[in-house]
Amino acid sequence: MLEFSILILIPLIAAAVCYLIKSIRSQYAISLTISALHLFSSFIIFIGWYKPNLPFFFSTDPLSKLFLLILSNVYFWVVLISFSYLKRPVTSKAEAGKKYYFLLLNFYLFANTAAILSNHFGMYWVAAEATTLSVAPLIYYYRNGEALEAMWKYLFLVSVGIAFAFIGILFLTLSANGTTMEGHQLFFSEFVKNATKLNPVWLKASFIFIFVGLSTKIGIAPMHSGDVDATSNAPSPIAALMSGSLRITALLGVMRIFQILTPTTSYEFAKLILIIGGLLSLAVAFIFMFKVNNYKRLLAYSSVEHLGIITLGIGVGGLAFAGAMYHVIFNSLNKMVLFFTAGNIHNRFKTREVNGVRAVINLLPWTGWLFLLSFFAISAIPPFGIFFSELMIFEGMLFSDKPWILAVTMFLLLFIFINMGRTLFQMLYGEKDEKTQQEKESFEIIHFAVIVLLILLIAIGIISPGILQENILSISKDFGIIL
Amino acid sequence: MQNVLSILFCLSLFYLSVTPRVKAYVTVLRIQGILLTILLILPFIEQFSIFAVILPATLFIIKVIIIPRYIDKIILELDIKRTIEPTIQQFNFLLLVIFSFIIIFLAASILSQSTEIEIIPFASGFAAVVVGIFIIIFRKKLIIHVAGFLVLENGIFLFGTAVASELPIMIEIGVLLDVFVVVFLMGIALNRISSTFEGFDVTILRRLKD
Repeated sequence: MLEFSILILIPLIAAAVCYLIKSIRSQYAISLTISALHLFSSFIIFIGWYKPNLPFFFSTDPLSKLFLLILSNVYFWVVLISFSYLKRPVTSKAEAGKKYYFLLLNFYLFANTAAILSNHFGMYWVAAEATTLSVAPLIYYYRNGEALEAMWKYLFLVSVGIAFAFIGILFLTLSANGTTMEGHQLFFSEFVKNATKLNPVWLKASFIFIFVGLSTKIGIAPMHSGDVDATSNAPSPIAALMSGSLRITALLGVMRIFQILTPTTSYEFAKLILIIGGLLSLAVAFIFMFKVNNYKRLLAYSSVEHLGIITLGIGVGGLAFAGAMYHVIFNSLNKMVLFFTAGNIHNRFKTREVNGVRAVINLLPWTGWLFLLSFFAISAIPPFGIFFSELMIFEGMLFSDKPWILAVTMFLLLFIFINMGRTLFQMLYGEKDEKTQQEKESFEIIHFAVIVLLILLIAIGIISPGILQENILSISKDFGIIL
Repeated sequence: MQNVLSILFCLSLFYLSVTPRVKAYVTVLRIQGILLTILLILPFIEQFSIFAVILPATLFIIKVIIIPRYIDKIILELDIKRTIEPTIQQFNFLLLVIFSFIIIFLAASILSQSTEIEIIPFASGFAAVVVGIFIIIFRKKLIIHVAGFLVLENGIFLFGTAVASELPIMIEIGVLLDVFVVVFLMGIALNRISSTFEGFDVTILRRLKD
């Protein structure tokens, strides 16, 4: 019960407390303490020092332990830098909205933890929808037209999408008709145990509905538009939160149903759907990298690209599956660094247009160099972690029965890299405007966070801790993959 | 009885596809809420228990009282005009709806041969999902999009009773609360949209693109 309180109840109580306290500083102190506590407990649960025993519809397995740790980690860093972010001047309307910031963040932590730890499809659905509800007002942080439009589109598209996922869950109930599970509760573990007895037609229909519905939230093409608008117009800590943790919570739902399909005859069909989704996302990122002229949107499309790679890895299976799990970790770390530094650039230049930003390296040396390193990291340049995970995914593709996927992926990734690099280098170097005065950039907490995260990205990639490897091996085993 | 209620539900969908008035949408949402409540109470008429009342009561409060009132309030406050501003002719829309009904009912009867499902509630629920999506696609006003979303949600609810899935009460209530908060947030957003931009239809939401 203790772990249940720390992980799920306390964030909810903290949200209520944040509503009552007026001072932003105390709200920050409370949220930071809770995020540290949450990170600590997910860490000891992950490394196995503590065996959690969760009540009701919650339980842990290797997959949820990994995703919980990723969520806690992303959340901790986002909260840590939030205070310095909130100090930045905004319009008076937006200033008034700041008092809800930590309330919504705490509610987000509550909802997302509940979604990750749920062992029941109904519970997962309710919690996943609650995450959308907590993030939507945060997207509207700047209180301007673009943010409003992004929030409306995100809220609407994701709500309709997740309603489709609910139909998928009902189909799953139908697939259990005539088996011993008829009339029983929708527990993941029960479905996994009895998977071969389920009706394959309804199972396939269920997979399609859940995948299409949740892909609005994951940001997989062709349902990515709401997500891209939201990520690019949200303040950078929220964009990092969405790219680093919210998208993978939705991915978790898809992985749960995929796991049920693993021992059945519909397995190949599901793999094909995931591969198509992944390749489509890469193709969309490939096309838009040519024309996009807003650097936040560029990063949002990069999220579409990387979630596409992860989906592709899961679909291909084998070594690529393990690679995809590593990629989930590295992508979440990497998206944080990119959005944090992009937030600094936005703060200095007051524009998201690439053409309005020049000579970042000269004007903002700390941010500039860190942004450059983050770009290298996301482009899978060694020694950063993404290099290793992509290498594993590519190796998995090469030795799978469809090696042509590797060729297509490599082609698309090459052009994505070139176009992204061209745009970002234009921002980092380029001619400095004569009028802009040079103010010396001071070292802030955001820079500290980015440096630590970059070190983590390298360290996890190179050392590859045994405990992590073990965890990913047991996840793969749950999905019927023996490495 | 379940079939009768489902057919009434279908009729409400047909009414939605021909009416040009915004107010009528709210009325239909209310009627659908009442139909769903009756549907939930039916199994408990013979064996009454306090516990069984919780869910229908919550459903009634949220779907029949709070949400329609809230939408009414928005319509009044924002002074939204009475017509729904369709993007295709009403007659074509009706044809489209009838055509989808035929396909869905045929598909349901084919599917019922292999799996045990209640054809009429199953098909009606699915039809409501499709009509809800059509409403979102073929209407310009944002408030009507919200109504379309609610019709879709009602459809899923009906559909859920047809496949006899028994979710625990706590989760069912969670689902209802989620829907309520979504509508609440959409209402706030609509308010802001009307003060930030001039108007309330989708054509004003064209700023974000590549």
